[in-house]
Amino acid sequence: MAGMKIQIGITALVLLMAGSPAQGQADQPGRSILKGAAVEFLFPEQVTLTAGKPTEVDLHFRIAQGLHINSHTPREDELIPTTFSIPEGSGVRLEGASYPAGEDFTLPLDPGTKLSVYTGEFTIRARIVATAGNHLVEARLRYQACDKNACMPPKTILVAIDIIGK
Amino acid sequence: MKRNTLVLTAVLFILAAFAWVGWANWEYRKQAAERLMASVAKGELAANPAGGAPQYLSPLKGKPAPAFALEDLSGRKVSLASYKGKAVLINFWATWCAPCKIETPWLVELRNQYAAQGFEILGVSADDIDRDDPQKLSEEKSEIARSAQQMHIPYPVLIDGATLDKAYGGLDELPTSFFVDRKGTVVAAQLGLTSKDDIETNIRQALGK
Repeated sequence: MAGMKIQIGITALVLLMAGSPAQGQADQPGRSILKGAAVEFLFPEQVTLTAGKPTEVDLHFRIAQGLHINSHTPREDELIPTTFSIPEGSGVRLEGASYPAGEDFTLPLDPGTKLSVYTGEFTIRARIVATAGNHLVEARLRYQACDKNACMPPKTILVAIDIIGK
Repeated sequence: MKRNTLVLTAVLFILAAFAWVGWANWEYRKQAAERLMASVAKGELAANPAGGAPQYLSPLKGKPAPAFALEDLSGRKVSLASYKGKAVLINFWATWCAPCKIETPWLVELRNQYAAQGFEILGVSADDIDRDDPQKLSEEKSEIARSAQQMHIPYPVLIDGATLDKAYGGLDELPTSFFVDRKGTVVAAQLGLTSKDDIETNIRQALGK
């Protein structure tokens, strides 16, 4: 125990004398590689609706600056569409969803190809039916994001909504 | 005199002890940092001093390319080791990656241009593969094959590239390419769409030109 204290004391002294290399390593120039969630669910966090009656709910999302995601109807079959879903068994059923139209986007190195994408904020109108009661729904949004030069793998984020059926 | 010698010896001993502890601590920290780097082995983008696109700083540069053996579209195992003696471009791409579709025709042209000099490309698809569901797996392989045919890819296309994620520094973005020289060392890496000229420069470097 005493030996460990001495070791810690000496280590601290040496670190003070030599400075901390870890600080220098943290100062990396340049932007980061695209990571994490490119899309954030904004609101609503809570919805109250009439139990058993289909109700339209607008779900608002925001895409990180400089990125775009494919619209619900990308022009090429291989591109992954943005899709909203609600898992079965949550007391809430997704009857359907209306997605905004995509905007045209062209990659600078391929001006001849138009992609159908979302950028900035977008809204999905979900038609929801809930049973009576309080349901903490973990809905999902699947998307695939890119910037002008690179793409991130497809991702599914949780869309947590407290749905109260009365 | 005797007392002075004793004090001097003691001071020298303490200084030597400090020096040893300092060295031991530095060595320990260095090894810990290397272990951490090896476990995460993440690349990073940095500003390009010459302007233009950011540079991809891969932790693999100057190191042996991580070994792998993946299936090609016909189910045959293809290993990186079997290309030793050739310069190899390992290109990670996916069917859903629009920039990859711009880059691939450049790769095809460059492969045909430099193949006679001992150059090959391994196109590693990072598309998700569902090995638990044979029917789904077959559909996924067909989709990759269809995409490869549409782009007239003449080089081997391997599947299940996502399993190389950690070994190759994260693969957070596609396309990502690693240029391996004839001895199996990574000499350059690129992340995202750059230019055909940049790719050719790196191919020539891998060929030792």
